[in-house]
Amino acid sequence: MIRRKVVIVGAGPAGMSAALVLAQAGARPTVLDENPRVGGQIFRQPPPGSPAAAARPKDASARHGAELLRRFEAARARIELLNEAYVWGVFPERRLAIGNQGGWQVVQPEHLVLATGAYEYTPPFPGWTLPGVMTPGGAQSLVKTWNVRPGKSVVVAGTGPFLLVVARQLHAAGVAVEAVVELARRSEFLRHAPRLLSAPGLLFEGGGYLRELKAAGIPVLWGHVVFAAGGEGRLQHVELAPCDAAGTPDRERTRRLEVDTLAIGYGFVPRVELAQLAGCELEFQDELGGWIPRKDEAGESSVSGVWVAGDGGGVSGSVVAELEGELAGLAIAGRLGLLDAATLAREKEQRLARLAPLRRFRAALDAVYRVRPGLARLAEPDTLVCRCEELTCSEVDPAIGFGGHDFRTLKVMTRLGMGPCQARMCWPAMMRRIADRTEKSCAEVGPSRFRPPVRPTTVGDLVQLIPFEDHSDAPAGAGR
Amino acid sequence: MTPNAAHDPQDPSGRRIVAPGGPRLAFSFDDARLEACEGETIAAALLAAGRPVLRTTERRSEPRGLFCNMGVCFECLVEVDGHANLRACQTVVRAGMRVRTQRGFGYRDAAAELGE
Repeated sequence: MIRRKVVIVGAGPAGMSAALVLAQAGARPTVLDENPRVGGQIFRQPPPGSPAAAARPKDASARHGAELLRRFEAARARIELLNEAYVWGVFPERRLAIGNQGGWQVVQPEHLVLATGAYEYTPPFPGWTLPGVMTPGGAQSLVKTWNVRPGKSVVVAGTGPFLLVVARQLHAAGVAVEAVVELARRSEFLRHAPRLLSAPGLLFEGGGYLRELKAAGIPVLWGHVVFAAGGEGRLQHVELAPCDAAGTPDRERTRRLEVDTLAIGYGFVPRVELAQLAGCELEFQDELGGWIPRKDEAGESSVSGVWVAGDGGGVSGSVVAELEGELAGLAIAGRLGLLDAATLAREKEQRLARLAPLRRFRAALDAVYRVRPGLARLAEPDTLVCRCEELTCSEVDPAIGFGGHDFRTLKVMTRLGMGPCQARMCWPAMMRRIADRTEKSCAEVGPSRFRPPVRPTTVGDLVQLIPFEDHSDAPAGAGR
Repeated sequence: MTPNAAHDPQDPSGRRIVAPGGPRLAFSFDDARLEACEGETIAAALLAAGRPVLRTTERRSEPRGLFCNMGVCFECLVEVDGHANLRACQTVVRAGMRVRTQRGFGYRDAAAELGE
C-alpha cells in the first residue's frame, strides 16, 4: 500500500485550487483525474495543437480558467499529478482503490479531498434516448473542446443560466439555434432581485448573454418545457409548450421544431459516490442538486480527514468551487502543521467573506431555476426511465405501487440502477417520481447506494499494480 | 473511403468548426474507413464523420448516441479492437483502431472479432 499526505480526487477548479494552496504550503499533494488534461468540465483543455483552442470564445470565465491552469502548471513540480486515473473504491481508513491503464493500486492518504464535480440532470420524457438528444454540457464540450458541431440545428432546453452559455457557444460555432426553452418564468427574477444584486458582476454577465442571443435572433422562451422528442432512429423534431409554475406543459399550445439536436438539462447533480463509500453522512438539499455530504465551513465531512469541495459537495459553480478548494487546502495545511493559526484564520476569513454574497446570489438563482414537480410526470408508460436496463415507466411504476419506495427495494424488484451507470442517470429522477407518487419527500425516499467498483472494472484491470514512487514515508533519497 | 469523401476529404460531413490543421490518423468504424484528428475522442471523431449512432441496446435493439459526453452515462459504449464496453467519449482514437457499433452487451461480436 502506498501512503500519501493528501490525495485530491478531481482536477477541476476545486481540486486545482486545493492543490495550489497545499503545494504553496509545502505539502506536495497528489491530484488524480480521469481526463488526460486538468481543468475539469468547465476548463477542459483541447488536445495540444487543436484548432478548438483558438476558436473558443474568450469570456471572463475562460480568461480566469486560463489563469488558473497557468498557475497550476507553474506549481507542477510541487504536485504529484496522475492523469487518466480514477478511484473505483474507498475502503476503511481512507484506503483508495485507484485505477489507470497500467493497473491498480491502493493508496492511503492522511487527508482525502473529494473534488468530484457534478453531472447534468435530465429527467426522462418521451424520445429522450434518441441519438441527437444530449446534455447541454455534452454539446458544449463537442464545440469547445473537440471542434465538432453536434448537429446542424439545435434546441437548447431545460433550466439554468448555463443554457444561455451553451446556446451562445453553439451559435458562435455555426449551429442554427432554433430556440432556448427555459422552464423558469421571467417574472420570478423580480421577486428575487435583492438577492440577485449580491453578485452584480455575474448578473451583468447573464444579461450580456441574453442581449447577444437577442441580437442573433434566437428566441428565449421563458416558462416553456420540451415534453417530447421524436424521429426515425435519430432525433428529427421536438415538441414544446408553455408550462404553468409547476412545470406542467399546456399541450393545447404545442409547438413542433424540426432539429437534429436537442441539448437538454435541468441543472446538475453532485457526484457523491466516493463520499458515500467513504462513509460520509449525506443530506438532501434540493437547491444544491440533491444528496450532498454534510460538511463544516472548511469542507470537512462527517468523517475526519475526508474533505469535500466544489460542485460535488453542492452545486454552486466554479467561482465558489475555487474558494471551497482553497478553504479545504488551507484547513488541511493547518492540520498538517504547515500553516500557523493566525495565518490560517486570516486566510479563511478572507475566503468566507467572498463566499457569502456568492452564496446569496446562488440561492436566488436556484429559487428561479428550480426543478419543478411537473418534470417528474413527463415520462409516459412506454418511456424508458432506466437507460441502462431499458426499463419503462409501465415496468417500474407497479413496483413503486407494491412498496418499492427506496433505492434498494426498487432495484431488487426491477433491476433499476443495476447497469453500468450505477443509477447516476435514473435515480435522481426516479427519486422525484417516487416522491411525487407516494407524497413522500425526497429526503424520505433516500439516495442511491453505490458499491465498489463504482465504474465497470474488468479482471484484467486488477492484474498489474501501478508502480508508485513511495517517497512520502521514506527518508529523503531512499528508493521505492 | 467514405461515400462523401469526394467533396471534402478533410471534413466529409461539414461538422468541423475550424478546418483541422494538425496530424490526422486513419481508423475504421464498422466497414468504413474514417479519419480523426490526433488526440480526439472516438465520439468526437464519429460525430465529425456524421455518425451519431454508437450502439444498439440489448433488450429493444434501439439506437443510442452520445449523451453526457463526460464519462458518466455509459450510453456511448462501442467495441474497440475486439473489446466491448469502451466509452466513446472517454477513449482517444489511435491510428489503425478498429471501432465497431456495439450491439447489446457486445460480447458476442467482440468474441468473434478476437477469434479472427
